[in-house]
Amino acid sequence: MRLFLDYCMWFFGGIIMFYMLFVIVSYCAMFVIAMLDLRKRYKLDPSEYDDAHIDAFYSKPVSLLVPAYNEEVGVVDTVYSLLNLRYPQTEIIIINDGSTDTTLQTVIEHFRMKPVDKIVHTNIPSKQVKQIYESEIYKNCILVDKENGGKADALNVGINVSQYPYFCSIDGDSILDEKSLLRVMKPIILSDGEVIAAGGNIRIANGAKMQLGSVTETHLPNNYLVIMQIIEYLRAFLMGRIALSKFNLVLIISGAFSVFSKKWAVEAGGYSTNIIGEDMELVVNIHRLIRKKKEKKRIEFVPDPVCWTEAPQTLGVLRNQRRRWHQGLFESLWKHKSMTFNPKYGLIGFISLPYFWLVECLGPIVELGGYIYIVVAFFLGKIYYEMAIVLLLLFVIYGVIFSIASILFEAWSLNTYPRKRELLRMIFLSFTEIFWYRPLTLLWRCEGLIRFVLRKSDWGNMKRVGIAEKEKSV
Amino acid sequence: MIELSISFLLTAIVVFLVILFLFAIYLLFQHQREIRFSNTRDTFLQNHSQHWYNYLMNDEIFSVVLVPRGRAQVAAIEKIFSSYLKNIMDEKVEHKIKEFSNLYLKKFYEKDLSSKRWSIRMNALYRIADFQIDELLDTCQQFEKDKISEGEYFQLLKIYSTFQPELFIEKIKESSVNYSESEYRRLFVLLEDDVFIRLFEEFDSWNKNIQLASIDTAAVKRNMQYIDKLKQLLTHEVSEIKIRALKGLYEIGVIDEIDPYVPFVKSDMWEVRLMVAKIFKHVPLNYTYAYLELLLEDENWWVRSQAAKTMAENREGIAKLQQFMESSNDQYAIEMAQETVVRRQGIK
Repeated sequence: MRLFLDYCMWFFGGIIMFYMLFVIVSYCAMFVIAMLDLRKRYKLDPSEYDDAHIDAFYSKPVSLLVPAYNEEVGVVDTVYSLLNLRYPQTEIIIINDGSTDTTLQTVIEHFRMKPVDKIVHTNIPSKQVKQIYESEIYKNCILVDKENGGKADALNVGINVSQYPYFCSIDGDSILDEKSLLRVMKPIILSDGEVIAAGGNIRIANGAKMQLGSVTETHLPNNYLVIMQIIEYLRAFLMGRIALSKFNLVLIISGAFSVFSKKWAVEAGGYSTNIIGEDMELVVNIHRLIRKKKEKKRIEFVPDPVCWTEAPQTLGVLRNQRRRWHQGLFESLWKHKSMTFNPKYGLIGFISLPYFWLVECLGPIVELGGYIYIVVAFFLGKIYYEMAIVLLLLFVIYGVIFSIASILFEAWSLNTYPRKRELLRMIFLSFTEIFWYRPLTLLWRCEGLIRFVLRKSDWGNMKRVGIAEKEKSV
Repeated sequence: MIELSISFLLTAIVVFLVILFLFAIYLLFQHQREIRFSNTRDTFLQNHSQHWYNYLMNDEIFSVVLVPRGRAQVAAIEKIFSSYLKNIMDEKVEHKIKEFSNLYLKKFYEKDLSSKRWSIRMNALYRIADFQIDELLDTCQQFEKDKISEGEYFQLLKIYSTFQPELFIEKIKESSVNYSESEYRRLFVLLEDDVFIRLFEEFDSWNKNIQLASIDTAAVKRNMQYIDKLKQLLTHEVSEIKIRALKGLYEIGVIDEIDPYVPFVKSDMWEVRLMVAKIFKHVPLNYTYAYLELLLEDENWWVRSQAAKTMAENREGIAKLQQFMESSNDQYAIEMAQETVVRRQGIK
């Protein structure tokens, strides 16, 4: 019995250790790539590009799609932030997805929406549109009232109603920086359409001061849970997206702020309505299409355009969000499992998908296993005790060191220089990550995996307080 | 082995933490420097904005207090100049900025051009073009001989296009770099008409991106002298060029005869038919009604929609659309006409 236990402990200990080493090496590599990329642009004056492209002659028109389901608190600010965008030609399409609150009324009253007769060109099949409205104040602002069909269906309706060659999806609770659209469109415009989709950087707005749809001042919120999420976003941004984007390996661009070529999105079948991670699904479908058509096209992540979004402030809401994200990730990966290690899909099949499987999807099981291993090993005696310490130290490198490095590097490269107190608070919290935040998120993500296996999908909605109100509520 | 691993990992962690600690200290120090820099810049802006206004706008005599001392003051002047150049179109102001920059900012940018950092060199190139520092042209040509990036070369082309158009055309011809259409547009739009027309005349000798960009630039310059060349391109074998030429002619908006456009009503490509439907906006309805009727019954939604819009924008358009709704058997076309009529009446 003891021998069997010994074998088990060595076996699992070895697997977890090698996994951790593999992840640390991959993250280091991605961190270095991101660092070199961002450092090159350090202190480059971005206004030069902005000013040159503010003219419609150089840019391409974009339809901004705002799907809204029970977003009565945030939707008005979101629309204002879109009206504030510095971009020559846009139309704003708010899609009310059968909200049960006063979203529809709020938008109608606030923007003086008037019903219009408009034939909708059905590129992608979707639920019934009840009525289309046009704003009397802002001629480029349209409201579509439709039957409830989920976010993906709402976006599909938005694509059908849109008239421009590119569309940008924005969550009903997000706020865009005024130059963000201009900058996220930069690779698309400069590449003459070789880049067919681009995603922007998402930041957490809790603690920000806002005025009519613009973030005027940012402060680190007091809620530790939110600060941990801020650190987590920074890490994901530096150790993943930038490096993957450099090699056209991006599989996820956040649905909260992404631009797609309408032609390609429609051809890829639009957003899938029967899947949780509709944003990832669309990106993977477009990658498939690119390979099928053998065209030289790219999907990029753009580091500086910023979209401010609201982060969950309570454990309950965060748990819902994380297990939902993870279930969505697993669902998409499972659906496209045939692409993994399939030579037909090149580097996507050989690097991206295995990375997402191993690090993003199955990682939580191994990591949680690591935590359990550490606890068990402490009870089992001297040899395992040492093994547990090795694992713990690897967790420290993986959790603490990478987090601190991300915080500092972000401050350095993007020239944000946070206030001394805020910087120290974030660093201090990074030291605590592996003891509470990390195990909790691992648990929730594993829960997501289990729910996928059990095919459960009854998700609660995130209760929003609205970004502008957040200061009062934190 | 495990003991070794523990000590190794511990050492690694300590090393990492020490590096990060030093990095954090450096950042905080940098933060202080940044604050000092912004304070000096902002003080200069506060104290001298009025002087600058008086000098640039009110023809007041140049004062020595305007001459920058140090980088922070250069940054302040860059801000002032950029905002004047962006917001005011005045040759006199542009000339004064040029004169001042050639005298007092030149040395800063000359030094920046030899910086090891790509972003600093790029910023210097931006400023040389924006503030028209033509005295640095030789330095720029010298700089071109170094190993420079595509972005830097693009900025150099921009500088040549303003300071020495001849050299610009020469460089474009010999350049091995193929920029995107939007980048070429940024270059061509700065060219004087006489230089651009020469470039446009040599249409067939350019690569595809230059060809397409020159058509778009001709359209945006809205100059009558480009119409004939654009019309010639309507018979070009490449359909993309044909469509762009149609778009260009639509944007210039002067249609003196409809015969060259009529064959396109029955083109195989819907994009071509769409552009014709747009072009007919600039022609009285009695010349185009028969063709627009055909386009209103087109198989493509966008073409139908555009044909309806074109008709509706005409004075008798609504009446003609109503007449069409009564006589046509095409349900899709009728719906489109109906929607356009309702919308148009709603606007009125």
